[in-house]
Amino acid sequence: MPGRMVMAIASGKGGTGKTLVATNVAVLAAAQGYRVLLADCDVEAPNDHLFLDRTVESASPVEVPVAEVDASACTSCGRCRDACAYGAVRLLGGSAIVFEELCHGCGLCTDVCDEGAMHESLRRVGEVVSGPVRDRPGLSLITGTLGVGQVKSPALIRAVRAAASTFDADLVVLDAPPGVACSAVAAVRGADALLLVTEPTEFGLHDLELSVTLGHDLALTMAVLVNRDGMGGVDVARACEGWSVPVVGRLPFDRRIAEVYAHGGIVADGMPEVARALSSLPDVMRGLAARRRGGR
Amino acid sequence: MKTVAFASGKGGTGKTTMTALFAHLAARELRVAVADADVEASNLPLALHVENIACESFAGGLKYTIRPEACASCSLCVAACRFDAIERDGWGSYRVDRFACEGCGACAFACPHGAVATEPSTAGEACSGDGTVGPVAFGQLGPGQDLSGKLVTEVRRLAADAASRHAADVLLIDGPPGIGCPLIAAVSSVDILVAVTEPTVSGAHDLERLLAIAGRLKVPVRVVLNKSDLSDDGAERIRMLCISHGLPLLAEVPFEPALAALLAGLAESGTDVSFEQTSAGVVVAAAWRALAGELTRANGDDAPIAG
Repeated sequence: MPGRMVMAIASGKGGTGKTLVATNVAVLAAAQGYRVLLADCDVEAPNDHLFLDRTVESASPVEVPVAEVDASACTSCGRCRDACAYGAVRLLGGSAIVFEELCHGCGLCTDVCDEGAMHESLRRVGEVVSGPVRDRPGLSLITGTLGVGQVKSPALIRAVRAAASTFDADLVVLDAPPGVACSAVAAVRGADALLLVTEPTEFGLHDLELSVTLGHDLALTMAVLVNRDGMGGVDVARACEGWSVPVVGRLPFDRRIAEVYAHGGIVADGMPEVARALSSLPDVMRGLAARRRGGR
Repeated sequence: MKTVAFASGKGGTGKTTMTALFAHLAARELRVAVADADVEASNLPLALHVENIACESFAGGLKYTIRPEACASCSLCVAACRFDAIERDGWGSYRVDRFACEGCGACAFACPHGAVATEPSTAGEACSGDGTVGPVAFGQLGPGQDLSGKLVTEVRRLAADAASRHAADVLLIDGPPGIGCPLIAAVSSVDILVAVTEPTVSGAHDLERLLAIAGRLKVPVRVVLNKSDLSDDGAERIRMLCISHGLPLLAEVPFEPALAALLAGLAESGTDVSFEQTSAGVVVAAAWRALAGELTRANGDDAPIAG
């Protein structure tokens, strides 16, 4: 595989098979001799580690700055409250107070305070764990896990991406969270190619269109993989043609796939037809990305 | 009025399908209102045949841009931005990457040349309409926006208004996947949270995380195991998890494509379609009876909410 490629796997709708595709693509590429890093960016529901036996080599907390008030220095002038775009600072009982969940850690309240009453401290929002996968030479896994009750998913996803960026690999597979909001953006932004996983149902197609819009906005090279092909009567290929997004693979609607997945198994291990459908995807995506660059 | 939310942690376990089926069952005996709190991928309106839709735009934060004619390329804005959202545009000036910008305004404060301009933005829309079962509120966040939790709160406000005009007995909320901000906004202070899970290792893992957040929010949980016959071991794992958390398993719904057909039929022709046509439908109907009973008990008074 010439040069490093970062391939994101995403979908608007949840449960379309992102994790299934990400884990299997990563395993298959490693089996072909590539150095592969799988980065689980679905930090609210990270599941890749359930399918891969990882040796934990490093585990580091992810901390973000939040504003804090020194009430004894605060004159309750309200400048910090007025500056905060998130409504995270209020005035109460003669002093500013900070609502941590709303604070984005931008530092502006600290900058605007003339009394030196605002400062910042670090709060843990989750952790990033990484290490090689046992019995899968060439494959490593990084997982971001949001702490229960924490709300700053994008900050944690950025930490996963930062850890992944320093990793020496031929192929980086990003397993994105569902949806099309800031978390999905944090996971797929700047990737060389974006593979959208969908199912041929009305729900799947509706949410796929949202993802395609997001991918266009982010100027990403996109392709679609249809999972559970044969499950619903929706013609995904025709819709994709309208969006000029190629369909690059299909996985059948097959109870055996669901059963192996249910146990935490790698489907490609026992089903050659699945391995065939997925093993060429990184090269196909690389080709699409190169053609797009060349066409500009 | 009682409020029931459906959530899962993991996506694609069948939240929307369950919400829609329960809404149809509830509507046979009660006045029902429904909210789709998955504002990133709003599918419930597709399942409930919503008409007379009225939407209002949902305001986002300020949108920041740098005016090249005023920019002196001093890069103070770049230093002030914590989100790496300002990049050189190749002409000596700088520009704001709207997907990285979180709208804090630190760049405008740092710029000595007044080169940072702002304008209001729209983050999405909040809508309501008439569904086959009663009023339905939903929203759609614009791609890449960061206010999903706030929009969920707005959708819940619209739903509460519609429910009160409709004199609804019960409000059903279809929640988002995950356990972050949108989920918390969707399930806070509901009477019962129905956790829809599946018999997979992922389903169990994400259910545990959902239970942890529900515990913090002090929301009572009931579990529906969907696609229950997909894996015997997986189903057993969920049953054990329920026992160890002291949670009632409301139903084990077998995987039957006929359930989707049942839902489509309900959306088409309203209440005439029988749940008896599929065994999964029978199980779901029984689950609703059990849940309606729970809601009556949760009432703490003798006004039965159903039956």
